[in-house]
Amino acid sequence: MMPTVQTEHDFERGVEVLRAQIDKKIASYFSSCVHCGLCAEACLFYTETGDARFTPIYKVEPMRRLWQREKTFWGKLGAGLGMLPEVTEDDFAEWQEMTYDSCTLCGRCSMVCPVGNDIAYMIRKQREAFAAAGYSPEGLQGATRRALEIGSPMGLTLKALEAQIGHVEEETGLEVPMDKQGADYMALLSSMEVINFPEYIESLVRIFDAAGVSWTFSRKAFEATNSGIQIGDSKIAAELVSRVVNAAEELGVKYVISPECGHAYTAIRWDGPNLIKRPYKFEVVHILELLDQLRAEGRLRTEGIETERLTFHDPCQIVRRGGVLEPPRNLMRMVAPDYAEMGDHGKMNWCCGGGGGVSANEEAEELRLKAFKRKKRQLEELNVEGLVTACANCRIVIEEGLEHYGMDIHVTGLTELLAKHLAPPKGKAEGG
Amino acid sequence: MFLEFVEGPLWYFSAVVFVVGVLWRLVDIWRQPSRTDLAVPRGSGVPGALRTIVTRSWTAKGFSRGATFHLVAGYMFHIGLFVLLIFAAPHVKFIEERILGFGWTPAPHWLFMVASDLAFAGILLLWLRRLMHPVMRKISTFDDHAAAILTFVVMLTGCLALLKSHDSLRAIHMLTVCLLMVYFPFSRLMHAFTFPVSRAYTGAAMGRKGVSA
Amino acid sequence: MTDHPSRPAIPSEPRQHGVPPRVRARITRYLLALLAFVLIAPLVPYAAAYLGAGNVPNPGAGLWNEVRQRAGPADANTQARGVESAVLINQVGERWRQFRSEMLVPVGAWLLLGTLGFLALFRILRGRIPLEGGRSGQLVPRFSVNQRVVHWFAAILFVFLAVTGLVLLYGRFVLIPILGPEGFSATAAACKEGHNLFGPIFPFAVLAMIVLFLRGNGFNQIDLKWFFRAGGLLKGHPASSGYYNGGQKSWFWMVVLFGIAISISGLILDFGVFGQGREVMALAHVVHGGVAVVFIAASLGHIYIGTVGMEGAFESMSHGYVDANWAREHHDLWLAEMEAAGMVGVEPNALEEVKRHDNIDFKGFGSPGTKAVQG
Repeated sequence: MMPTVQTEHDFERGVEVLRAQIDKKIASYFSSCVHCGLCAEACLFYTETGDARFTPIYKVEPMRRLWQREKTFWGKLGAGLGMLPEVTEDDFAEWQEMTYDSCTLCGRCSMVCPVGNDIAYMIRKQREAFAAAGYSPEGLQGATRRALEIGSPMGLTLKALEAQIGHVEEETGLEVPMDKQGADYMALLSSMEVINFPEYIESLVRIFDAAGVSWTFSRKAFEATNSGIQIGDSKIAAELVSRVVNAAEELGVKYVISPECGHAYTAIRWDGPNLIKRPYKFEVVHILELLDQLRAEGRLRTEGIETERLTFHDPCQIVRRGGVLEPPRNLMRMVAPDYAEMGDHGKMNWCCGGGGGVSANEEAEELRLKAFKRKKRQLEELNVEGLVTACANCRIVIEEGLEHYGMDIHVTGLTELLAKHLAPPKGKAEGG
Repeated sequence: MFLEFVEGPLWYFSAVVFVVGVLWRLVDIWRQPSRTDLAVPRGSGVPGALRTIVTRSWTAKGFSRGATFHLVAGYMFHIGLFVLLIFAAPHVKFIEERILGFGWTPAPHWLFMVASDLAFAGILLLWLRRLMHPVMRKISTFDDHAAAILTFVVMLTGCLALLKSHDSLRAIHMLTVCLLMVYFPFSRLMHAFTFPVSRAYTGAAMGRKGVSA
Repeated sequence: MTDHPSRPAIPSEPRQHGVPPRVRARITRYLLALLAFVLIAPLVPYAAAYLGAGNVPNPGAGLWNEVRQRAGPADANTQARGVESAVLINQVGERWRQFRSEMLVPVGAWLLLGTLGFLALFRILRGRIPLEGGRSGQLVPRFSVNQRVVHWFAAILFVFLAVTGLVLLYGRFVLIPILGPEGFSATAAACKEGHNLFGPIFPFAVLAMIVLFLRGNGFNQIDLKWFFRAGGLLKGHPASSGYYNGGQKSWFWMVVLFGIAISISGLILDFGVFGQGREVMALAHVVHGGVAVVFIAASLGHIYIGTVGMEGAFESMSHGYVDANWAREHHDLWLAEMEAAGMVGVEPNALEEVKRHDNIDFKGFGSPGTKAVQG
């Protein structure tokens, strides 16, 4: 039976799920936290608003209260004596903003906590309870429902994708392999790429053709993003992952390629096997990892360099939380050897402000634009003309932010940038 | 008479509560459910855990600006307290006579002065920031204040008894020490034992992803 | 002279030693007489002088003058290596003792009690200085987090050091009757250790205070007018002032000067291992005690007006914000600057604003408003 999105408020269930989230890590994290407040300095929702409620560890206060009441001596004693406040439905209502609107799960706080707490992990856990209780943003609920029912959080249908692919085939004069049994790689997409940045598909087709990669799309599963993870519903997340896994295993591919999109990578690469509770029969690679491998093997060759002053924005889920640290930089250097790095780049980069489902959440829009001031400042320091990133969601959020603040910087995807400089094939025999 | 009580039965009681309590808390963390990571790791978890246990002792690159206060006051307090606890002459003597049966060279007086001044200044600054900073006000709980004040009182009574001339002063210090030891396992002070556990969990998870956290 | 004759310790069995008891008694008598002569002999010149032997000069005078070093450094030599080990009797010690018991203790007591009395009188006559216009509900940021942390850091140290110091100075008069000699002994021991241990932190607190509060504490003509009107404290019409008024500036400079004096003298007293002699120590103590008493007396006024003495003043140092009406009544020129900078009626505890507070100068120099607006 397909899981459904909880839209009605069900506080009891929320508490029950919250209780079930407390594992070894959570217990250790709460035991270790000394409320030093350092995580606030790492969170762009705090630094750009000054609102103390957005201190990362305060965002999981409902979970801490439950843990204290039910797992600690003083808590049990205090609760028994009626001295500790219970976790109430009002808390859920109040903390919905802190749990969803003001957290992109970017994990920057997890990198600075002196006692080593992974606060992003804790918030992700708390989202399970909030999603179960129906205290989740309407925008995310809608996206999740569309992902379940239509197969894409943006409501993109297979037909629409096929139309885009038709355009791409016309543009490139190349055939886009669909459902090719026994291909090495199965590529995934995010709806955002299909709808807003179809150049990504075109780039893939051209690069893979030039490099002689054996690959395919699947008609059964092309969507890589996972709203279940963003809203925090493991059952839905597992359902969405299993669609991809089933399709890939039916086609018998060796690898599944995660698109540029950040959360898609976390979902399919790191969370997926744990969600469906078994290892895959294939490997997952991020498109940048694959491109970097092709570069190293000499199969990806470019010509010319960018004359504009560029910088690279590290998508949190790919770099900090995904571990794809070096490939984007190796690839950037191929076409923009003098690209400028932001002040905090790499694994300590500041989030665009729209990850973790925040960009799908209309209620968070004002806050998101405020938080974007951090990226704005980073970019102003560099005085660049163009920004390259590797996540369709980062890209759309940054484009909106730049427009909002009237900044004249154009944004492009790294794969697309590489395709632009793709050297003409020397002859297929050599590449094969 | 009173001194005999606090250094005798009360001390033994507190020590037992402390040891059993701390162990119980650690076991309790271990008793919670956990699941093995099924994703194919990029790197190994163990070096990641060990690395994070060490590297979280200083700030991430580029993050020191927002953390200056924490770094300075935090280290002042923790280093000072560590030297006081382990190397103050009366403590060494107490450890030798009552706990371990052997001692070590205690800190000279000047080092004791420096350590205690660092510790006192550090804990005062940290606690005042807790009272003053909007973030700290928002996230602080009763336990945070209780732990800070109790630790301060223990340190204060200890330094007041430094002349070693009056049993009453020694007894007051011992009494507050016993209070602290009984309070310890049930409070935030547990971070002294659980911080490597937390660092290890996060370091391992990040290490498996190939990120040195 | 009560030299009692030696009793035979063991009455029986004297024959065993072979000395007849009569001979023993005689020997004892001779020895006693000899002892008496030895003891009395040195007294003879004094007795002679006392009995009016005429103009014989005191033969000991030169010696004692030399010993007490009245005429300057002595020629005394000693093999002992140490600070002042060639000094037999320290002259300065007696003068220091006199200063302490005849000047510092009584004058200090009058000063402190007098200040308390003055404050009580002020309270009775003037009452609590109210917010004339009531509360506006609009907040103006006044002291940043760092300023407040440093202020209370210094304040806690100051109060602790003042209390322990006063116990050491007045404890034997005030506390012995209450605690008894035993209790006071323990208290004094504790206070001495506490004072010596906490003392070395105070200089750093003073330094931090100087760094964070120096800006805006320069005197100008507005302060002259403020002093001329006695700060408006006596009547209901406060004098005009900027970020700090004349009184606050005076207190700041008192903290700086007294703080430095008390820190240096305190360190000299606390760390007696750098070769400073008793003269230096006594002088340091005179400075330390004298400055401390004045410092504490002045602080009483500061504490009074900052807490119970004036409505709306304490929150500037507790939460960091003041009511716009309080600013209008006590720091009108500053409020005008803040209004120009758009800093009146801010959302409390918004970091953006706290940061502006730390980074941007709106504390009474130039035209800070423009800067704040840019931020």
